[in-house]
Amino acid sequence: MDTSSFLVQQLINALFLGSIYALIALGYTMVYGIIELINFAHGELFTAGAFIGLIVLAALQKYGFVQTHFVLTLFLVFGMAMAYVGVLGVAIEHVAYKPLRNASRLAAILSALGMSIFLSNGMMLSQGVSDRAYPALFGLKGITIIGARITYGQVFIIILSLLLMVALNMFVNWTKLGKAMRATAQNQVMARMLGINIDRTIRVTFIIGPALGAAAGVMVGMYYGSVRFDMGFIYMIKAFAAAILGGIGSIPGAVLGGMIIGGVEVAWSAFLPSAWKDVTTFIVLILVLYFKPSGILGEDVSETRV
Amino acid sequence: MIDLALKNVSKRFGGLLAVDKLDVEVPKGKILSLIGPNGAGKTTVFNMITGVYPPSEGTISYQGKKLNNLRSNRIIRHGIARTFQNIRLFKSMTVLENVQVGMHCRTKSGAFRALLNTPFAIREEKEIIEKSMETLEFLGLADHHNEYASNLAYGDQRRLEIARAVATRPEMLLLDEPAAGMNPSETAELMDLILKLRDTGLTIFLVEHDMRLVMGISEMVVVLDHGHKIAQGEPKEIQQNEKVIEAYLGTKVKAKA
Amino acid sequence: MRKMGILVLCLAVAVGFSSMAAAKTLKIGTLSPLTGPYAQDGTDILQGVKTAVAVFQKAGGIPGYKIEVIPGDSACDGGKATMAANNLINQGVNGVVGAYCSSATIPSSVPLNEANIIQITPASTHTDVTARGFKQIFRMCPRDDVQAWSTVKFLEDGLKVKTLALIDDRQTYTVGLTENITKFVNEDKKIKIVALEHITPGDKDFTAVLTKLKKLNPDAIYMGVYQPEGSLMVRQAKALGIKATLLSEDAVYHPKFIEVGGKAAEGTFLTYAKAPDTPERRNFEKTYKKMWNAQAIGSYGYYAYDSAMVFMEAVKKAGTTDTNKVAATIRDNTWNGVSGKIKFDEKGDRKLAHIIWIVKDGKFVPYWDPMTEKYF
Ligand SMILES: Nc1ncnc2c1ncn2[C@@H]1O[C@H](COP(=O)(O)OP(=O)(O)OP(=O)(O)O)[C@@H](O)[C@H]1O
Ligand SMILES: [Mg+2]
Repeated sequence: MDTSSFLVQQLINALFLGSIYALIALGYTMVYGIIELINFAHGELFTAGAFIGLIVLAALQKYGFVQTHFVLTLFLVFGMAMAYVGVLGVAIEHVAYKPLRNASRLAAILSALGMSIFLSNGMMLSQGVSDRAYPALFGLKGITIIGARITYGQVFIIILSLLLMVALNMFVNWTKLGKAMRATAQNQVMARMLGINIDRTIRVTFIIGPALGAAAGVMVGMYYGSVRFDMGFIYMIKAFAAAILGGIGSIPGAVLGGMIIGGVEVAWSAFLPSAWKDVTTFIVLILVLYFKPSGILGEDVSETRV
Repeated sequence: MIDLALKNVSKRFGGLLAVDKLDVEVPKGKILSLIGPNGAGKTTVFNMITGVYPPSEGTISYQGKKLNNLRSNRIIRHGIARTFQNIRLFKSMTVLENVQVGMHCRTKSGAFRALLNTPFAIREEKEIIEKSMETLEFLGLADHHNEYASNLAYGDQRRLEIARAVATRPEMLLLDEPAAGMNPSETAELMDLILKLRDTGLTIFLVEHDMRLVMGISEMVVVLDHGHKIAQGEPKEIQQNEKVIEAYLGTKVKAKA
Repeated sequence: MRKMGILVLCLAVAVGFSSMAAAKTLKIGTLSPLTGPYAQDGTDILQGVKTAVAVFQKAGGIPGYKIEVIPGDSACDGGKATMAANNLINQGVNGVVGAYCSSATIPSSVPLNEANIIQITPASTHTDVTARGFKQIFRMCPRDDVQAWSTVKFLEDGLKVKTLALIDDRQTYTVGLTENITKFVNEDKKIKIVALEHITPGDKDFTAVLTKLKKLNPDAIYMGVYQPEGSLMVRQAKALGIKATLLSEDAVYHPKFIEVGGKAAEGTFLTYAKAPDTPERRNFEKTYKKMWNAQAIGSYGYYAYDSAMVFMEAVKKAGTTDTNKVAATIRDNTWNGVSGKIKFDEKGDRKLAHIIWIVKDGKFVPYWDPMTEKYF
């Protein structure tokens, strides 16, 4: 393996890792943007998505559906995981966050932490404590570009996550609801004054953010081949760092942050002793926040209130 | 004909009586100004009308319908739009987008239709863009439509606030100190603009400290002090009212009248 | 009033009986990770111990004794394991099976040693576990250096590789392995170590490190990790098109490795002890699978079963729960375990060697014996 293939390979590794972090980070940033709450349960929603995908996939495999209808299988697995977790997201918002919207920030954060523990334990009890194998859909086949290898599974996942990000961007920028979401995020009182139904906008945010997390969960399960009830934790840390890095509340920021965290992680392992890889993520985070406290694409948070 | 009627309206913040048994009637198609020293309760009146918070007592009705316990997003559908004293633009949106958001409460496609049927929503959005551009044209902001709201000159930001409120197709417009921070030529333009809006049939309810503006365009003035209505009448009567002069301690009225 | 009196009398009798019974309870504590990434192995250990108690009691048990298992969660964490150990001491356990990670076993063994309670670890392989002169600690599985020796022997004389890359996850157990391998390789000077890389337990993506190793192109890559990371690592190595021979150790020797690793697990070599097929072993496997509704048994299930069994047999043989006497009985006798013959040395280490296994057609198959240098 020569240097150029090495670099291309590491670039692919980083892109892959970065897209997954980005998808998860989007959920944090959207929810934070709209209600200024760190949804600590997001990591568990991501894991729940992985499990729903597993359940659907296992069921389809049992009846030999996967071989005959491959594309439809993918559609069903992702669709059902995203739909289920979207509904779960709304339910969580309704039960755990909505009643606390006018309470102190701390109360909402505690509620979010509680939700996270609740979901994690629920999944532990229902799905078991150990790794669950994910049926291999793509196998190990792939293509070679300039000496670097990328499997079809990776190609599919990278393309799908980019598509989801583009779709989200179109939705947020070009549709009425998307604009309502941005308006609500920027100034809730004014948004309401212009006729925007804030509750509904928040609900939609709690569908989209968790659904994207669920898609990432299915991708992780599919590619890495196993899921476990507590796998959301490490992704939560990284994606949360990505959201902060990019500027929490900013959608392009979350994507950029995810790619940077993925890139830094891979670069460190690739060129430096791999022992302190996890520390680097946070060194980068601290450095960026030192020079730009609101994150790379974040805005100053000094909105005036009524 | 009376558009908006406040009857016996009070607002209490803990121990503070910010508005005390206020009666105001805003006639349709006219410009009515609410004036008073700082902290008199003017913004509080606007907040109650637009559903930011409910009145502690009394009733607010608009064209015969009671507004008391409606939330802001319902009130806008009755045709009441407002601007804020401090600028509340969506800063990281473009000028055009700010106006589009204002227009959305008048469009048909619902939330889930927009979510599931994006092509349809995008088509509808195209029509909205055309109408928004017309509104910007009317307010003289068309040239800036692609700029971020935060990059506009101060006077233009104030006008964009009005444009966004107008985009909701209201019948009544509440303006909270629209001239605050404007230079005299910007204020003069604003005066023309308000008259132009009134001439399209809009009812204007204005809160303003700039007395030249207030006295220049109002058909009726209500004066508030410490939450009480201390005077009401045509600009000329108000300028000569002893109580009003006293309330202002001879500062603004004398200086500007 | 009369009724009340009878009720009180009944209660008193009931309490009297139960306290009499409690006086004759043999309490076995377990320490293993019941939560966190290694919960699978931890659960296997607890289930192995419970199976041993069931089998032992069915065969007669110890007359007059009730046997109770008290689980403790060591969470593969020194602090948590020590807390769990203290909790077991407070509950008056007579012996402890555990812990799993060496980094949990070593700290937790300190209070157990002070309280003079028998401890048998089914899984911790770090040299230090038995190197501190504790008289009541035993180890059912082979030590790091024994395992490292088998590995190096296989690399040098079986595979005859020239270059080797090492990976560990910076935990006591895996670092013990990579350090010992490095030591033996450097003594023999037959193999060049081209890299020592570290990963983080709980991570899922190791492609950056693996790509680095692919560039170095070693003949073999040694994966000093636990099963969850091992399964992911072989998949990613194969996806990256790495051709090097992959080797790992007993912590990866688990049915889950093959289940999750799938096709990518094929051809991986693992060090693990080989036990003869005996009626006891078959009975254990049958009972275990039935009791826990399990398809397969994790490797530590066997060691945990043997640990509990040796302890109970020794108490029975010694006729007392006195720790010094039980420890002497354990040390002075040879036991027939489901993981083979069990004989402990002075330090408390078991004389047991590993063989090399290969994953073939979705099964672990014996491949090479480092003692005889012969293929199976
Ligand atoms: N949300 C609130 N909670 C508590 N007190 C409030 C609140 N809003 C306004 N007040 C108080 O009510 C009184 C009236 O305030 P208001 O903002 O209505 O005055 P104003 O006439 O608009 O003054 P200005 O000309 O300075 O804008 C003030 O004493 C103010 O401090
Ligand atoms: Mg005010």
